[in-house]
Amino acid sequence: MRNRLTLLLVALLIGVTAVAGASARSTSTPPLTIYAAASLTEVFRAFDGAQTYNFAGSNALETQIRNGAPADIFASAAPLNTQRLFRAGLVDKPVTFTANRLALIVPKSNPAGIRSIYDLRSKPVKLVVAAPAVPVGGYTLTVLKKMGLSSVLGKVVSRESDVKAVTGKVALGQADAGFVYVTDARPVSDQVTVVRIPAWAQPRVRYEIAVVSRSTNKTAAQAWINAIMSARGQTALRNAGFLPVPKSST
Amino acid sequence: MTSNGFPSSPVRAIDRRRFLFATATGLLAAGTDVRSAAAATDDDLAFANFGLASSYLLADYYGRALQTGRLGAAARPTLRRGRSASTLQARALTDLLIGAGDTPATADDFAFEWPAAALATAAATRRTGLTVLDAVRGAYQTASATLGESSYRMLFASLAASVAEQAGALALPGTGVEPFPTALDLEAASAALEAYLG
Repeated sequence: MRNRLTLLLVALLIGVTAVAGASARSTSTPPLTIYAAASLTEVFRAFDGAQTYNFAGSNALETQIRNGAPADIFASAAPLNTQRLFRAGLVDKPVTFTANRLALIVPKSNPAGIRSIYDLRSKPVKLVVAAPAVPVGGYTLTVLKKMGLSSVLGKVVSRESDVKAVTGKVALGQADAGFVYVTDARPVSDQVTVVRIPAWAQPRVRYEIAVVSRSTNKTAAQAWINAIMSARGQTALRNAGFLPVPKSST
Repeated sequence: MTSNGFPSSPVRAIDRRRFLFATATGLLAAGTDVRSAAAATDDDLAFANFGLASSYLLADYYGRALQTGRLGAAARPTLRRGRSASTLQARALTDLLIGAGDTPATADDFAFEWPAAALATAAATRRTGLTVLDAVRGAYQTASATLGESSYRMLFASLAASVAEQAGALALPGTGVEPFPTALDLEAASAALEAYLG
């Protein structure tokens, strides 16, 4: 009887210690605050739902970090934003972690009858794009210039603050067409049709990620970046339609 | 003719190789004049960007055709010269785009796709090459006739001649390829290459 009581007490003690340990771990590793390009919304949440995210246009996030926002990690849709912060000493050395492509999307009903990107030139359309300072907005200008179609900018009815706003307007039928990343078209594939942009006109869309210099949790932040660079992270990105890190960026 | 249908006459073969090389080298020499052309329009640059991607695509095609060896030993010098000409053309177009303040693509920016059947036999390899060359030549013909900047027109005329000569070296009776195809606008030429450009 005494032996059984001793065993019970030991078991209870082990249980209490384990719970206390787990609790201590959870309070010692608070979630990271990750500032990420809006186009990474679905893939980052699916990859790791335990962190705190702030998704927006990379230019807006860059400004927030510059103004002291409490971020641990910054993931940008264009190297320009991370490199500017790196030069200012506000983030550690950025690395390229994925790539993307642009596409033109039209509502499923396709009221303007757009079948090719060249139709933007010949048909009356309400076109929605992101603002030039937003990475996808800059990439849109590059595509149009490469294809000799800059004149269609005269048909722009709205310039949005991030790619999700462009996607939303087209999905809701508030515009006839919009330029987004191919990965943004996937979650709304029941509402939009993708019109391919030829490979020769594609801009060089590279995503960079970096630890924010004033992060109080740099070790965990670097571990998270290592995770997204790992085979598991790269698989998650590829499954979401992102492209592997290009050879020229490694 | 050899069993692969390539000319067996050494004189003819050497002339073709020289022409391919000379045309491409001439482009590089002409590059200085083209670079100095400041007033490139959107259309000029669109053709240059398309041409640059096409040059990389052709260099890749020749490399793969050499690798598979489907066209036989007699074709190897032609394929090597074709690859060399395409590489030089890519360099010339890169210079042109840099000169115009654009950011040219590099070969690493593309992931070319060759369907398994495209290079499965000698006939398929030849047909694939001619399909690509045909679309590129069509676009260059349009560029050489319609672009506003005269130095660009000259450049694209040279490129069209080089690509036409490459097609001539690959073409054989019975392939169904027209010796003098119609000019293609960029949309049609781009659509013709979509399956390979990735």
